[in-house]
Amino acid sequence: MVFEFVSWILGKKDKPRSKDLAKERLKLVLTHDRVDISPQMFEKLRRDLASACAKYVEIDEAGMNVRFDSQDRTLALVASVPVIGAKRNPYSSKRRGNMG
Amino acid sequence: MNGKVMVVTSGKGGVGKTTAVANIGCALAVRGKKVALVDADIGLRNLDIVLGLENRIVFDIIHAMEGRCRLRQALIRDKRVQTLFLLPAAQSKDKDAIAPDQMKELTGELAGEFDYVILDCPAGIERGFKNAIAGANAAVIITTPEVSAVRDADRIVGLLEAEGIEQPKLVINRLRPDMVKRGDMLDIEDVIDILAIDLVGVVPDDETVITSTNRGEPAVLDGASRAGEAFRRIAARIEGEDVPFLSMEAPSFWGRIKRFLGAAR
Ligand SMILES: Nc1ncnc2c1ncn2[C@@H]1O[C@H](COP(=O)(O)OP(=O)(O)O)[C@@H](O)[C@H]1O
Ligand SMILES: [Mg+2]
Repeated sequence: MVFEFVSWILGKKDKPRSKDLAKERLKLVLTHDRVDISPQMFEKLRRDLASACAKYVEIDEAGMNVRFDSQDRTLALVASVPVIGAKRNPYSSKRRGNMG
Repeated sequence: MNGKVMVVTSGKGGVGKTTAVANIGCALAVRGKKVALVDADIGLRNLDIVLGLENRIVFDIIHAMEGRCRLRQALIRDKRVQTLFLLPAAQSKDKDAIAPDQMKELTGELAGEFDYVILDCPAGIERGFKNAIAGANAAVIITTPEVSAVRDADRIVGLLEAEGIEQPKLVINRLRPDMVKRGDMLDIEDVIDILAIDLVGVVPDDETVITSTNRGEPAVLDGASRAGEAFRRIAARIEGEDVPFLSMEAPSFWGRIKRFLGAAR
C-alpha cells in the first residue's frame, strides 16, 4: 500500500506504454491484412486441420488454437492442437479400440 | 542517360510525401545530380508551392502528355539549384486524365535526360497511385510512427511488390524523440520490425519544415534545420553513401547550446 503510494508519487506506476499497445495491435492487424483470408475460409482451414490431425491422434478440437504469424514479411500458420491420447502409441493399448 | 525513376508514396495522406519529394530532390540536385520532380497528384497540385515555384507555371504535365507543349517547355527550372526541375501537376483536371501507359512513357523520356525522376504520389491506392507507380523502378515509402500510417504503408509495400517494384526504402517522418523516450510513440526499431523493409532515413518532427514551406524554400537549403539535415542524409544514402543516422535523442540543454553554436558558425 505504502509502496504503491510512493511509486505513484514517483510516477512509476506500471501502466502499459501506449507504444507497446500500438505495436501489438499493429502486428495483429497487419498479419490479418497480409493473409487476406475470409473468416469462412479460415474456419474451413481450421476444421480441415483438425480432421487431418484427428486421423493420427485424438485431439481436443475445442482447445485448438490456430493463427497466422508474420515475421520479416513471411507468413506462418501457427497451430497448437492439444492431443488427448496418442493413437499410435504402441504402449497404450487402451485407446486402440477406438480406431475401429 | 538512364536515370532512376523513384516514386515517393505512403497510402495515407498528410504524412510528408510532398515535403520529402521537395527536400530529397533538392538535396540530390545540390549534390550536382540532374533531378526532375514530377507532381503526380493531379488536381491537387502542391509541389510547386512547397518549392516556391507556383508563379512560374505555364504548362503542366497534362499539356505535355497531350502534346500541347513539348516536355521541356513544361519543366520549370529552380532558381536556386540549377539542376533541379519541376513538372507541375494539372490543377483543373482529375486523376482520370492520365493513364498508366502515358505516365510510363513520360517518365521514360525524362529518365533519358535526368539522373533522378522523383514522383510525388497522391494519397490512396486507386487510379492516381497506379499512375504514379507505373513508370517507377524504385520506391520510397514514407510513414509517420502512428498506427494508421504504418498500416497503410504496409499495404503499399504489398501493392508495390505485386507491381514488381522490389525493395522499397522506408522513411520515418515526424518522429518525436520526447514521445519516444516516454514510450508514447513507436520507435524506429518498432516500425522497421513491423514493416520489415530497409530504412533510408528518419526525419524529426521539426518546425523548420513548416517555416521553410511557408517561404517556399526546402528545409535542406537551411543549414541549421534538423529535418533538412535528415533529408540531406537520405539523399546521400540514395546515392549509395553509408551515412550514420542522426541521433534522435531529445536534445539536452548542452546539446541545444552546441547546436546553437554550430548553427552560428
Ligand atoms: N518532419 C516534419 N516536421 C513537421 N511538419 C512536417 C514534417 N513533414 C511534413 N510536415 C507537415 O505536414 C503536412 C503534410 O505534409 P505533406 O508533405 O504535404 O504530406 P503529403 O504530401 O503526404 O500529403 C505539411 O503541413 C508539412 O509541412
Ligand atoms: Mg502531397
